[in-house]
Amino acid sequence: MSLKYAYHCAIAGIGATPFTKESGRTPMDQAVEACLAACEDAGLPPEKVNGMVTYSAEQNPEIELARNLGIEELTHFSMVHHGGGAACGVIAVACQAVYSGAADYVLCYRAFNERSWHRFGAGVQDRPAGAEASEVSFSWSSPFGLVTPASWVAMFATRYMHEYGATSEDFGRVSVVDRSFAATNPYAHFYQRPITLEDHQNSRWIVEPLHLLDCCQETDGAQALLVTTAERAKDLQQRPAVIASAAQGAAEDQHMMRSYYRDSITGIPEMGLCASQLYQSSGLSAADIQTAIIYDHFTPLVLPQLEEFGFCGRGEAKDFIRDGHLERSGRLPINTNGGQLGEAYIHGLNGIAEGVRQIRGTSVNQIDNVENVLATAGTAVPTSALILSQPR
Amino acid sequence: MSDVMTGEQKEVFVAKLREQVGSTGTPSTARDPVNQPMIRHWCDAMDDANPLYTEPDAASQGPFGEITAPPAMLNAWTMIGLIPRVNDPKDPASGVYAMLDAAGYVGVVATNSEHVYHRYLKLGDHLTGTVKLVEVSEEKQTALGIGHFVTTETEYHDQHGEHVGSMFFRILKFRPGTGRTASAGGNGDTPAERPPRPRPSRNQDTDFFWQGSRAGELRIQQCLKCGRLQHPPGTRCPACGATKMGYTVASGKGTLYSYVVAHHPRVPSFDYPLNIGLVELEEGVRLVTNITDCDSGQLKVGMPLEAWHMSTHEDVSLPVFRPARASRNPTTLTFDEVSVGDELPLCPVPLTPTLIVSTAIASRDYQDVHHDRDMAIKKGSEDIFMNILTSSGLSARYVSDWAGPEAVFKNLKIRLGAPNYPYDCMTMSGAVTAKREEDGEAIAEVSFRGQNSRGPHVTGTIDLALPRS
Repeated sequence: MSLKYAYHCAIAGIGATPFTKESGRTPMDQAVEACLAACEDAGLPPEKVNGMVTYSAEQNPEIELARNLGIEELTHFSMVHHGGGAACGVIAVACQAVYSGAADYVLCYRAFNERSWHRFGAGVQDRPAGAEASEVSFSWSSPFGLVTPASWVAMFATRYMHEYGATSEDFGRVSVVDRSFAATNPYAHFYQRPITLEDHQNSRWIVEPLHLLDCCQETDGAQALLVTTAERAKDLQQRPAVIASAAQGAAEDQHMMRSYYRDSITGIPEMGLCASQLYQSSGLSAADIQTAIIYDHFTPLVLPQLEEFGFCGRGEAKDFIRDGHLERSGRLPINTNGGQLGEAYIHGLNGIAEGVRQIRGTSVNQIDNVENVLATAGTAVPTSALILSQPR
Repeated sequence: MSDVMTGEQKEVFVAKLREQVGSTGTPSTARDPVNQPMIRHWCDAMDDANPLYTEPDAASQGPFGEITAPPAMLNAWTMIGLIPRVNDPKDPASGVYAMLDAAGYVGVVATNSEHVYHRYLKLGDHLTGTVKLVEVSEEKQTALGIGHFVTTETEYHDQHGEHVGSMFFRILKFRPGTGRTASAGGNGDTPAERPPRPRPSRNQDTDFFWQGSRAGELRIQQCLKCGRLQHPPGTRCPACGATKMGYTVASGKGTLYSYVVAHHPRVPSFDYPLNIGLVELEEGVRLVTNITDCDSGQLKVGMPLEAWHMSTHEDVSLPVFRPARASRNPTTLTFDEVSVGDELPLCPVPLTPTLIVSTAIASRDYQDVHHDRDMAIKKGSEDIFMNILTSSGLSARYVSDWAGPEAVFKNLKIRLGAPNYPYDCMTMSGAVTAKREEDGEAIAEVSFRGQNSRGPHVTGTIDLALPRS
């Protein structure tokens, strides 16, 4: 299988609101601001946009957003399911739309008051006990108090630690790296507030083995990205971030956040499926990636992602991390915006914007000689990933 | 009544209670010699299968060459039994108990028992116990009520006058209804005020599972064509494509595959920290569940577990798991095989009314608080509760099942805390805390704890003489 749209599409514009803990505005208002900013960044009048792709979790319908943006006609609109797993999926679907001719310019967006209105961290305790499959699936965990995203991920973490000897400190090192980049990013919530491993270890338990500092922030804000063909992108004002490839993956015996029933639960086969598609269709490999945005809603699942993409062997991510490879001067600096632990939690879309800046050479934490950037989406759910490359 | 006593009256009362401190009562001879039926009754009730107590062949090969009584039975032999209690006016301890009863301190719980075994008892040994009143405390406020601790020491001799053992024993005599918890009303977080757990949603595809749990069965979906098991259930077998799905009833045995301990955010339906496990059943499938009856610190990947069904709604029970009881060690650990720090496997003791009543009777303890709920409540208890001889007996069983049948108990010291009420579960844990040579014997000290949902019920130590090879 080869993705025909590989290298044929690009991210031409990025835009975001300030990331806050209490925006005092509606998410719709923020979505409009982010989308306008993305168009302005690209130098494209918003009314030229004729495609919109967002998450199925998004609560600001594309038709209302289009009306606010002054977009008269849409020829492609779609949603990608499974929470943060959609982050690169919306880009993949936008590629499919512009490559096929279904649309010319597609806005991908995510906007919410995830901190001040509806906190995801509170979990699904209030989910109705209905009879539909999506509701029934929670019966296998919620009655036992396994109701929060942190707890769902923690179950994988304990097993991973048991099998590979990873420790809470190894998870903490991911958090320390994120916060070190956030400390030098003025847009990050934790700007100028780095942490030490000791801070991580001393932070309170959320769900053992996860400390508070293993968990991403909750954020009010919006992020938008403008996708078009690589050809059209050349005529816009920014250096295009060419989408070498973008792919989705759901693997065998997949469940929403709780794929606990597979023979092994220490890998992320749906991410492995994304990795093989990306590498195969782009012709790239781990050796070609200079920096990466590794989805970090919770630190433990950063480790198996590094393994699925071949940056290290199975079970060896702890050693890769202990050797400092994720840090500024390491082999693979990750989450140079501060990640979702340090910058903001916009369901992964803010990380892709950072990937675009690394290609453009405009990141506040710019890595030298960036040719290709990997970005991944939410883990433990059906997921997605992409590679951004320099224009040829 | 004591609560209307002035300070001065109290002083006089305590002085009267203490008049006989240091005095020894009339020796009391057991009604029956050490005998096999009573041993068998004890072993049945305690579920103690050590063959040295009941099987002549095994006992003849053992360290004593004949049947011996479980050492923890020491004070059961001289228990008075179900006959009208006539207090010997010359017996100092009985006199104190009678004075306290008359003053309204009718509630009674044993708090400490320390046995020392000079030798194991054989069939036909006929014991005499001599009780000395050692101490009567000032009036104290305890969780159970206001009362006095009374401490005695009993020396046991056989029919030949040989000193075979001794017991240090302490009870609390208290006034019902004066406990700390009686007026404080708890912390406002009692199960009665708590919203129920999230209700499992169910449909035609999953109903069998919940019907099963309500009926006390752990049902796992099974393909009727190829026999494959799967959980969570589906509508079609992904292996063979069959659409006729049935179920099998799992044994309820499994191991802990992974786990988490939830702290935040707190959902009011649950107690935190909350143990949530991913259990792999011996049939091969996994399920998310709670691990009950152990501390979060006792959770270990791989630990053996057993299922039980927790009723959470009028029509819902959830399959949850507790540590499984390890099988009895049929061989005996040698002194070299144990090290300080070795942990004993966890052992659950489900506290059924049958256990509490049968063990009380097997230890010849006919105190009504151990078998008669109405009387237990009248005397300030929430329900019937386990007697201290049983706490000793179960502690001994726990350590003996780990150490093996030929480990010889030198002593057994326990202290009681939270009562063992019916329908709870006590989980035993323990570790080797010392090793030493003493009088030519190789002694390992085991410290143990039995914890129920209210806290530690029993804590204690046992010195074991272990074979050297």
